[in-house]
Amino acid sequence: MTTDGGAVAAGRQHAAGHESYLAAKGARSWLLTVDHKRIGIMYLASVVLALLAGGVFALLIRTELLFPGQTMMDAKTYNELFTLHGIIMVFLFIIPSIPASLGNFFLPMMLGAKDVAFPRLNLTSYYLYVIGAVMALAGILAYQVDTGWTFYVPYSSGQVGAGGTYADDSVLFMTAAVFVAGFSSILTGVNFIATTHTMRAPGLHWKRMPLFVWALYATSIMQVLATPVLALTLLLLFMEKLVGVGIFDPRMGGDPVLYQHFFWFYSHPAVYIMILPGFGVVSELIATFSRRKIFGYSFVAMASVALALLSFLVWGHHMFASGMSEFASMAFSALTFLVAIPSAVKVFNWVATLYKGDVWLTTPMLYALAFVVLFTIGGLTGLFLGTLAVNIHVHDTYFVVAHFHFVMVGGTVMGFIGGLHYWWPKITGKMYAETPSKLAWALIFVGFNVTFLTQFVLGTQGMPRRYFDYPEHFHRLHGFSSVGSYVLGLGFLLEVVVFVHSLAKGERAPPNPWGSAGYEWQTATPPVKDNFVAQPVVWRGPYDYHLATDEELFDGFPEEAEENRAPPEAP
Amino acid sequence: MSQPEGTLQLPPQLSTLAPTVDWIYYFLYWVSVVFFVGIVGTMVWYVIKYRRRPGHRAEPTGHAPNLELFWTFTPLILLVLLFHWGFQGYMQGAVPPPSARQVRVRGVQWTWTFEHANGVPESGELTVPLGEPVRLVMSSEDVIHSFFVPAFRVKRDVVPGIYTTLWFEATALTHHYDRDESTTCRRDADCGEGRYCVDSAEALDRRVCASRASCEARDDCPGDHACVNGQCETPVEVYCAEYCGAPAGATGNAGHSAMLSSIHVVTPDAYQRLLDEGPPMPPECEGTEDPLACWGRDLYMKNCIACHNTDGVTAVPGPNFAGLWGRSEQLATGESVVVDENYVRESILQPQAKVVAGYEQIVMPPFRFSDRQIDATIAYLKSLERQGP
Repeated sequence: MTTDGGAVAAGRQHAAGHESYLAAKGARSWLLTVDHKRIGIMYLASVVLALLAGGVFALLIRTELLFPGQTMMDAKTYNELFTLHGIIMVFLFIIPSIPASLGNFFLPMMLGAKDVAFPRLNLTSYYLYVIGAVMALAGILAYQVDTGWTFYVPYSSGQVGAGGTYADDSVLFMTAAVFVAGFSSILTGVNFIATTHTMRAPGLHWKRMPLFVWALYATSIMQVLATPVLALTLLLLFMEKLVGVGIFDPRMGGDPVLYQHFFWFYSHPAVYIMILPGFGVVSELIATFSRRKIFGYSFVAMASVALALLSFLVWGHHMFASGMSEFASMAFSALTFLVAIPSAVKVFNWVATLYKGDVWLTTPMLYALAFVVLFTIGGLTGLFLGTLAVNIHVHDTYFVVAHFHFVMVGGTVMGFIGGLHYWWPKITGKMYAETPSKLAWALIFVGFNVTFLTQFVLGTQGMPRRYFDYPEHFHRLHGFSSVGSYVLGLGFLLEVVVFVHSLAKGERAPPNPWGSAGYEWQTATPPVKDNFVAQPVVWRGPYDYHLATDEELFDGFPEEAEENRAPPEAP
Repeated sequence: MSQPEGTLQLPPQLSTLAPTVDWIYYFLYWVSVVFFVGIVGTMVWYVIKYRRRPGHRAEPTGHAPNLELFWTFTPLILLVLLFHWGFQGYMQGAVPPPSARQVRVRGVQWTWTFEHANGVPESGELTVPLGEPVRLVMSSEDVIHSFFVPAFRVKRDVVPGIYTTLWFEATALTHHYDRDESTTCRRDADCGEGRYCVDSAEALDRRVCASRASCEARDDCPGDHACVNGQCETPVEVYCAEYCGAPAGATGNAGHSAMLSSIHVVTPDAYQRLLDEGPPMPPECEGTEDPLACWGRDLYMKNCIACHNTDGVTAVPGPNFAGLWGRSEQLATGESVVVDENYVRESILQPQAKVVAGYEQIVMPPFRFSDRQIDATIAYLKSLERQGP
């Protein structure tokens, strides 16, 4: 995208009057902002905090499992820790991670818009997220919740007997917290859908939309449709507790398996809410660093939408061992295999994009390639889980743990960190140090594989998940996995150092350090408050490198480029 | 014939279902390897071949609709096959043969209890016959558990409020047997007391007499066998696979991860003896001064100690056992009775038939003891009399 000759001239004149979105100072200018970029940054800070906290809990879990027997905590504490890890990572990190931080920042810029459609709603959804997060953490600590992130009844609803060590209503409180955080997703979803439909720049028709926008659009539809089921579940739980209608509790004639249906009817689409934005980021990265339009653009865009729709039909594949009827298992298994098609098509298209490209191995590109490798493993092991006979053996074992970490961490987290490196110069106006971040990438990639490839074998050997202790013959694999997790932790630590160093001492970033043809790069770095100094007019697609001018690709925003071109010479 | 061994990826195949599941598993595994090498290999090759360098430029992306249609629809063939095989294997595991022996399984935080078809109970561990289908009918008394036997490739949630079932047919004995290859036999009875008729290690179509090795520690046993209940054995491991919590303040392994059990696979005749006679005498009692009393003490510790003391003092909630044997008791009806063999037997099987005066309010549940277990209990009561309070 560029502006035509006249618009560029106008841009130059106005540029002086537009200041950077970071110009305003003071807490008030952040906490009450309605600028999507600042809200994006607040989300970014929050989800990174959640990621680090969840990561520390993960390391504690792996340390307990380093040796058989009690290593550093008792069984109950261990159960509380993996519950904390799960809830924080799923609800406070992964679900909002890419859409609410990078999505908030770049969706309007990629559409050539000044802001999202409803800026105040955007701020509201951030505060709902914060309230939900505080409620969740307070609930976990107050009730010492040890139910796992799935809150399965009747364990979570309290019981007679030895296990009744927590308050009865913890599950109500936790569901309420997730519900509030869920409302934040719904509002963000509504906002993004409206923005995508109504705020596109002139000339930006649907087939010119960046694939990141397509992915966010599909994600938003799922958030709006799936999250209300959570509210429904909460209502039923309240009815059971307060009115005494037996719905889930077997002691009142309820059906605990029904709860699992409700839970996964939300949480399975949620899995795609977590991964689709990652797909979007990776499409951007691979296109930019291959300097080529994504192969099969329409297939990739439509695959996102297809996954969004299919994700509502496969929740039962979490329940093949639950006592559900054989007929239902058959139907859910068949539908589950359909999900493999759009996922595989995306991978094929990403690889095909590299063909005859000009592949530039920057850190973000390395993360994108790691994404393809790890997501391929995550996807292929999904076939094992979709195949009924094999599912029965590996269900509820470390195989499942490894599978979803490959998809969620190997997928979403790689996409998130890759995207963060990619857009970091645009967001902060600073460059990061390339060599240390490549080292961090290597540590993360190796550490991740050592940790979780090992867990596939643990799972096929029969090691159940959520075990505080294990028989001696699993020791070697568990120890190996724990050592891998330390390498992984070291990699993340190094990334934190890289980003903090960049903020403090990073070089000033040029407007378009990657020479990207993406729309969001065609403005100042960091962007001006209104994103663009004049209304952009789109006349080519976001990946049309052969149509983009050298000025767009290498200089980005013209005014900034001129300043950069003539650096003051040292005396 | 020694026990089958596991592979790097999968535990040993100890049920008829296991080969089916493993075949599909390895098919998936090799499909995955081919796809992974294909995708990642191509990716790495492109990254090297089309790397950024001076004078090199990307070519604009073209269209190849046929290629895209090809790789969208051909994987469907593979997926249909996978679904088909997976569903077939699943149904094999879901439908037990009509001849299957039935065992009731109850899950409760954090133990499993078992009851065989004729009511013979087993606590904590399950014994099943070799080569006969066994169907478990399972229920939970508190939260959701899941009965998982990796070596059998079976798993099923155990849900409060409903029955769930699973079945398996074990294909290998779990104890270590010292075979006498010079013999031939058809049933255990052909081999005499304490010996078993098992498949020959040398010929496929022959069965020979064998005895189980007894042991005191793991070092006494050959190979990887452990010393279980005084005999060398590698029992089949059972796990609870559905998270079910842990007690607060417990040290060491507790709760969900301690809800373990094991399955002993024995000869069909040995299983039949278990059904007829109830569980056998614990091997550690064999060879003691009074083996029967030792067994009786074991039964007392597992079943009676909650209500009956043996210190000669405490007589609540149930009568004290010390000095009880041979005593004349006043019944609630006013009659009196001597504590002899028949009275003890009746009090175990039908506790409410003759209630001692003063215990009218206490309702003792009936216990399903086999004849030999009752004999053992009697021997234990007698031994208490001899030793005095």
